[in-house]
Amino acid sequence: MANTVIGSTIVIDGEITGDEDLVVQGTVKGRVSLRENILVEESGVLEANVETATITIHGTVTGDIQASERAELKSNCRVVGDIRAPRILIADGASFKGNVDMDG
Amino acid sequence: MMGSEGMTVIGEGIHVHGRVHGEEDLRIEGRIEGSISLTETVHVAQSGVVVATIEARDVVVSGVVVGNVSATNSVHLERGAKLVGDIDAPRLIIADGAAFRGNVVMGEGADATAASTAKARPVATPRARPAASRPMGTASKPAASKPAAGRPGGRPERVEARAARPERPAPAPRVAAIRPPQATGGPDEEVTVVVRHAALAEDDEANEAVESRKKPGKKAPPRGRVPKPGKRRVNRR
Repeated sequence: MANTVIGSTIVIDGEITGDEDLVVQGTVKGRVSLRENILVEESGVLEANVETATITIHGTVTGDIQASERAELKSNCRVVGDIRAPRILIADGASFKGNVDMDG
Repeated sequence: MMGSEGMTVIGEGIHVHGRVHGEEDLRIEGRIEGSISLTETVHVAQSGVVVATIEARDVVVSGVVVGNVSATNSVHLERGAKLVGDIDAPRLIIADGAAFRGNVVMGEGADATAASTAKARPVATPRARPAASRPMGTASKPAASKPAAGRPGGRPERVEARAARPERPAPAPRVAAIRPPQATGGPDEEVTVVVRHAALAEDDEANEAVESRKKPGKKAPPRGRVPKPGKRRVNRR
């Protein structure tokens, strides 16, 4: 339980910064800036610009994503926005609209 | 993940800036600035720092909170907790070792304003004494008009009781009326001294009034006296 969990009924409207893993089951609007990993679960909604090391998306993300290591779009996820990361994985069944930049 | 269902944690390394609202328990080990509005329990852990207004059913504080806390059920301040802000909750538990500064309202939210203004009144009443002591009849009117200004609650009775005190030493209105110019910088102690004089010898009111007139004359000179001894010394020398 050391890591951070945004529960499914929680809405955060603002900015999240920090240096530990973040699990999003609820809704985050605004900006997210982490040095670690973000996991957006199926119920999770990110309406934010995201800066992180890695992000794994099962749910919905609307906003630009900048990952210093990896961005992973799982099946059934919905992503609208630009993705910038050296490694980008898009699984079968994922929905994505936006630009991809893998130059880092 | 299964265990974390229905439980939100803001970890120690996380800083949230903005508004957090929802319908489940929230445990704060990191830092939140802004506002928190929940239908369940907010738990501020020892490492947690919250600079925000908190609204929830229950609020349990082991860490630091700066901001007003409003709970529909209870507020717990546990050992090591630090809270600066007002608390509005029907139940408040403060454990030994908790630090708290602020107002507490245990009851309807409407009383919050009455409580905060009532605390301001004692500060205001001493200043109002000279004005209240001039006309006897009007002494109660200004005091009565304050609660009448639209602040409900049981407070008005206390205010009237305070207002009654200046009426008792009313024999000294003249003295009090004379005093203000002299006692502009003087604290309340001087006023109470006058009350004793008036109570001891009502007939000598006039004399005392005269004395008090003289006293300012005596008290005033010290500013002038300082050079005088010098002059005398000069003369002696």
